Amino acid sequence: MENAVKFESVSFGKRVKSMLKVDFRRMLKSKLFYILIACALVMPILMTVMMSMMDGSESVNQQTGEITIMEGPENTWQNIGTLPGEPLGGAEIFAMCNINMAFMGVAVFVCLFISDDFRSGYAKNLFTVRSRKGDYVISKTLAGFVCGALMLIAYFVGSVLGGAISGLSFDLGTLNAGNLVMCMLAKIFLMPVFVSIFTLISVSAKQKAWLSICGSLGGGMLLFMMVSMITPLGSTPLNVVLCLAGGALFALGLGAVSKIVLKKTSLV
Amino acid sequence: MNAVEIRGLSKNFGPKQAVCGLDMTVPMGAIYGFIGENGSGKSTTEKMICGLIPASGGSIKLYGKDHTDSAVRAKLGVLIEAPGCFPGLTVWDNMMLQATNLSIPDAEREVVRILKTVRMEGAAGNKYKNCSLGMKQRVGIAMALLGNPTLLVLDEPLNGLDADGMRIMREIFCDIIKDGKRSIIVSSHLLGELQKVATHYGIIRHGKMIVEMTADELDSSCRTYVALQSGEMNKTKMLLGCRYSRVEEDEAGYLRVYDMTTPEEIVSYLYENGICVTEISTDKIGLEEYYIDLMNGGKK
Repeated sequence: MENAVKFESVSFGKRVKSMLKVDFRRMLKSKLFYILIACALVMPILMTVMMSMMDGSESVNQQTGEITIMEGPENTWQNIGTLPGEPLGGAEIFAMCNINMAFMGVAVFVCLFISDDFRSGYAKNLFTVRSRKGDYVISKTLAGFVCGALMLIAYFVGSVLGGAISGLSFDLGTLNAGNLVMCMLAKIFLMPVFVSIFTLISVSAKQKAWLSICGSLGGGMLLFMMVSMITPLGSTPLNVVLCLAGGALFALGLGAVSKIVLKKTSLV
Repeated sequence: MNAVEIRGLSKNFGPKQAVCGLDMTVPMGAIYGFIGENGSGKSTTEKMICGLIPASGGSIKLYGKDHTDSAVRAKLGVLIEAPGCFPGLTVWDNMMLQATNLSIPDAEREVVRILKTVRMEGAAGNKYKNCSLGMKQRVGIAMALLGNPTLLVLDEPLNGLDADGMRIMREIFCDIIKDGKRSIIVSSHLLGELQKVATHYGIIRHGKMIVEMTADELDSSCRTYVALQSGEMNKTKMLLGCRYSRVEEDEAGYLRVYDMTTPEEIVSYLYENGICVTEISTDKIGLEEYYIDLMNGGKK
């Protein structure tokens, strides 16, 4: 048997580690990643400053003569979540256009990140040497999660800066800094729910980036309203645990479905 | 043990059967020339070997193990259709990405070595999208060579390569199989180039393997012919046509007689008919002609 070829089996940890290295290397070289983080940082500053400047300005409806007085933000933390006493997930601009937009922004990242693998043909290199499709799904979900978490943090920093520039109040009222931390943690732990949905849609759409982006934004919208409800500014450890459990369940469940999709379909 | 053993492989795309009951054996240490017309199922078979598309039926074994075995798959090098590189990244970054994917220790040194091998060390800083077709092909081959693969699957690797590139490829192929353990599957339409390196051949048509043979078997299967030139080619062709069943004129202007005969017999026959032969030799048909004959259902 001198001519026999020996093959070393690669452990799960080693496989996932190398896959993660590939994805993080790519992520850090991708312009899209920095653009999204920059958007998440700048958007709350611009929005807060602009809305504050428009505060109290009147606009008259030419047909009815009705006068509308513009209301700006009163508190910096309105960018992060709903304050006690405010309607949850209401139609107010700060209930919709706040930090929760990062959940939709990460859809663009996940979809383009995955579709690029298939469009460039790099998926051939990856899947030829990796028969376990699970490694790919785990790595993409983690990369998306990290990008999403960084977007949330960037948005938080942007909100604080915007609030400081506009001279808004930083008063948390009946809440405390612990609630704020719990709120941010809950949002971060909720991110895998969205990322795993976007990953599933993207691996199904493969190189069709437009299809995965449209599908992900549509699918994400269904859960979007839920975010403000389970991650209010007054979040408690229960909210964090719920989001963590939800995130883990979605990541595992949809990850398994994504793996089956990759296994059963053509990868080129 | 064979490097690749395929039995009864099939693949359907809806109602269309791309590969039907294909059997294929690639011995260890072989450079396997995988030949077939466009759409004959070569690339589909190669993609199934690499696990890029699921097979509809049959079995694929790589070095005695199922082709889904992650340990075997980790030692595969592949270039199918086009190199899988990110256009916005540099050649170096693309190579490093693949080195990371393969968990190559001392990746930078290995990437430098491989880029030197394919004569691309000077273009490492170029963005992949700015590379020429030949350069892209070299990068694709370099990526396939990373990690010292045990089995290389190369689909049209010679496309776009210049003469120097082709020579380098031949040297690389021969170097890889030197230890007798590693194997290469190469599909190419450049049969002349393929014949220079291939040790085994597989010819596929309509998704079925029609013949598998070694280079020696091909050599003995190839017909010999007598090629000649004379002062009066038209008259010579007419005279030879009267006596022999298959006489053809090749691109170089020589008349080829494929029947069982000898140069002496032809010279004396033509001499008797007043024709003076200026040049005559015997030769064997090459892979290209053998393949064309086979595709046309002609004699070997």
